[in-house]
Amino acid sequence: MRRKKRLQTNDKHIKNLAAIVGEKEILFHKEDLTAYENDGFTIHSYLPKAVVFPKNTEETAEIVSYLSRNDLPFLARGAGTGLSGGAVPLNGEVIISLVKMKRLLNVDLKNRCAVVEPGYVNLTLTNSISDKGYYYAPDPSSQYCCTIGGNVAENAGGAHCLKYGVTTNHILGLEVVTPDGAIIEIGKNGIMDVPGYDLLGILTGSEGTLGIVTKITVRILTHPEEKKTVLAYFDDVADGSQAVSDIVSEGIVPAALEMMDGTAIEAVESAAYPVGHPKDIEALLLIEVDGISAGIEEQINKILDVCEKRNVRSVKVAEDEQERARWWANRKTGFGAMGAISPDYLVQDGVIPRSTLPQVLGRIREISQEYGLRIANIFHAGDGNLHPLILFDSRIPGETDKALEAGSACLQACADVGGSITGEHGVGIEKREEMRFVFSDKEIEAQTNIREVFNPYYLLNAGKLFPSPGRCGEVKKEEKAAASK
Amino acid sequence: MITADVWKELTSILPADHVQEQKTAETRYGNDGQVLVFPRTEEEIAAILTFASTAEKKVNVCGCGSKRGLGGTEDTADILLSTASFRGIKEHSVGDMTIFVKPGTPFRELQDYLASHGQKLPIDPIHAENATIGGVIAANESGPKRLAYGSARDLVIGLRVAYANGEIIRTGGKVVKNVAGYDMNKLFVGSMGTLGVITEIGLKLRPLPEHESLVLLSFPEGDIDDIQAFSEKLMKSRMEPVSLELLTPALAETLTGDASFTLAAALEDVASSVFYQEDYIRNIQPANARLSILNVEEAGAFWERFQHTFALDTSEQHQGTEVLVKIGVQHSDVLEVLKEGEREALCEGGHGGMGHGLCQLHLKGDKKQLADSISSLREAVEEKGGYLVVQHASLALRREVSVWGEPPAHFFLMEGIKTKIDPQRTLNPKRFVGGL
Ligand SMILES: Cc1cc2nc3c(=O)[nH]c(=O)nc-3n(C[C@H](O)[C@H](O)[C@H](O)COP(=O)(O)OP(=O)(O)OC[C@H]3O[C@@H](n4cnc5c(N)ncnc54)[C@H](O)[C@@H]3O)c2cc1C
Repeated sequence: MRRKKRLQTNDKHIKNLAAIVGEKEILFHKEDLTAYENDGFTIHSYLPKAVVFPKNTEETAEIVSYLSRNDLPFLARGAGTGLSGGAVPLNGEVIISLVKMKRLLNVDLKNRCAVVEPGYVNLTLTNSISDKGYYYAPDPSSQYCCTIGGNVAENAGGAHCLKYGVTTNHILGLEVVTPDGAIIEIGKNGIMDVPGYDLLGILTGSEGTLGIVTKITVRILTHPEEKKTVLAYFDDVADGSQAVSDIVSEGIVPAALEMMDGTAIEAVESAAYPVGHPKDIEALLLIEVDGISAGIEEQINKILDVCEKRNVRSVKVAEDEQERARWWANRKTGFGAMGAISPDYLVQDGVIPRSTLPQVLGRIREISQEYGLRIANIFHAGDGNLHPLILFDSRIPGETDKALEAGSACLQACADVGGSITGEHGVGIEKREEMRFVFSDKEIEAQTNIREVFNPYYLLNAGKLFPSPGRCGEVKKEEKAAASK
Repeated sequence: MITADVWKELTSILPADHVQEQKTAETRYGNDGQVLVFPRTEEEIAAILTFASTAEKKVNVCGCGSKRGLGGTEDTADILLSTASFRGIKEHSVGDMTIFVKPGTPFRELQDYLASHGQKLPIDPIHAENATIGGVIAANESGPKRLAYGSARDLVIGLRVAYANGEIIRTGGKVVKNVAGYDMNKLFVGSMGTLGVITEIGLKLRPLPEHESLVLLSFPEGDIDDIQAFSEKLMKSRMEPVSLELLTPALAETLTGDASFTLAAALEDVASSVFYQEDYIRNIQPANARLSILNVEEAGAFWERFQHTFALDTSEQHQGTEVLVKIGVQHSDVLEVLKEGEREALCEGGHGGMGHGLCQLHLKGDKKQLADSISSLREAVEEKGGYLVVQHASLALRREVSVWGEPPAHFFLMEGIKTKIDPQRTLNPKRFVGGL
């Protein structure tokens, strides 16, 4: 710790913030701030004014109320793994990092809920209740380090969300610091359907633009009695896609149904967790079924039949937990594995109706050719959530922009078949303009109207989620808001 | 009384036989309109709303009226807009397991149609008889099987909504996973029609289970503690009942002929799994409990009777004074709530989810007795940190007791939302929490 340097500043705001959180819990020197210039979306970087680390809700509220009184922009940050730039301080914000609010406050097995602070890491929850037979279902691939607060903000998904639902289906209550520093509590003791508009629903997935979450009540589930995992290799990606639809048409609800294409396989096999996938196949499916032991065999047999019918090259069931774990480690580290075959990569996150999978994968292949960039696909095939990974080299002038354009073209391809531009990573700053692929100006305004209710002075995480003003009524309104301040 | 210009305007939007003047001056359930309109398209709905907001008329919205007794302290508005003539399936993508329907589609009709494709909408609203899908969504209804499948809020993937000024807004989309922008679907689900008229609903579906059965476990008097212990044991086990609903002796008597507290554990899965779970339950059942297992047909009939019991007559001629209340508590308090209900002289029966904490009680009595009973129940429930909502009551009673209870401390946000979306308070005035 650079103790001497601390608080050598004439900035009264830094001094006042330090007085709230303590001198050790604030960063404001440029060299300390660079780590906070961006999150998992590294294309744009902006320096924050400072980073503060509150220890509890009261401190958070005090900070927020100070910043709001002094007209200083701010935003919340969890682990900084967000992939759309939600935690990037576009306006030189004061970053309120929640990583020191990381306690597990309560586990109530009888009522199947747990209360955590926002900085609590996703996987830690499962790890700490697993011995009692319980787990927390939403499992983003980043779960070993991302925070539940960040998950709430992004409405994070994961491989097992096909059967169990995404974050919003598991949130029972939130404590929130509003953008003017008030503390509100939505939902109580995990009790469902509390009368009134569904504020839990609107806050979850609001990407940190409506309030700062300081406490979360989540649903926890008992572990399924049994799990079985199947790995299937296809020579033809179209057969693999068709198998996905067939499995679902069989009336099976798999716990997970993941797909990787040839380029993705090349990457994961060159990275830290290879499992020996053949390198000459076009697609693999990782399929998991869980539930009552007596019913699993039957479902697995159906899945094997479907794969055979769709010309699978080979298909096997994991023999034990180790093998299963190896397959999943290989899948879950898939994004990072791109580093093994490309200097840089950009992850996209489109969603399509499952039935259009072959068509859209074809279109993505064309985009790859048009832009001269390789695109790997690793995705949640069961719910049509694609993750095209665009491989590029930022050292080559113009290639970053080309990658961004190719990413945008992939999202357009998803929107063209009635899909969405993001299934779990959020809009952030990355996909602001692409919001126009799916919403009209009026529909975007309907959403910014809601933001104005929660965040009227727009000091909290401004500039995210919505296209820059210029068309609709946004400009006029922002002028009005500025005038009324 | 409606004025000639309102009549003229509405009949210029709709054929004359889709516009009806309401004759009765005083209605038993309220939430009525001076004139009743039956639009058949989204454009007609938009035109009616545009007219109403320009002319500063108030509009109540209904499907088939099954929830007329839920919320609201006004007897009538200028216009009552019914979605009953705006029905049908717009698009069903069998392979994607998604469906887009018009709001006036009867819930039952939708389920029957889906069943013919081996699919279902996995919600079992208690007021399914006569309900439209629009009403089920607007009230965020659910039933015993919520334990496994969630409620309407978990199934809606996209909506089209007509705002009070006639603008049409789309929320969500056509895919089952979507985080583009705010999750606006959630605002409208459960908002009781106070934010907009839902004109199209996109839902995700599930396959019909290959097999199902219903395990009924009745606990003769004196074994109450066993219920809690057994429920906890089953919930902690790795079995996956889709309901674990406790019925009060009175309700159990109506449904099964056996007047004891009874647990209804529904099982839905492949046959081998259903049989396996039946055996599991048989093996852990308490010594004094009586167990019976209903097969697919019997289980279906049971749930029909169950829904029928709570299908209250909302017609004007109906003379009985009855009330339904919904109670939300922690799971571990459900038994207490139902016992409290049993002690209540007016209680005709009730049920509650041991794994989700939502209960319902059916009360009968005169207005004064009912009002007293509601407040004492509410007091008991609030002591446990829960809430009570009056789900069905006459207008006179609703004016006397608070339907939704005290608004929460963050009510200002709800009010802010209402004011942004419907500044003139055109839609369903005073129907929802805190007079929204
Ligand atoms: C390798 C890798 C794999 C990934 N896999 C998945 C995946 O499978 N599924 C998936 O959904 N995502 C995935 N992600 C994305 C990311 O991990 C998630 O979006 C995660 O939810 C972000 O959590 P975080 O704590 O890192 O939040 P941050 O990145 O710190 O913040 C994200 C957003 O949330 C806001 N925020 C953070 N905390 C709060 C709070 N307490 N209150 C209000 N707002 C807050 C921030 O302002 C920001 O807008 C992956 C990321 C990586 C790097």
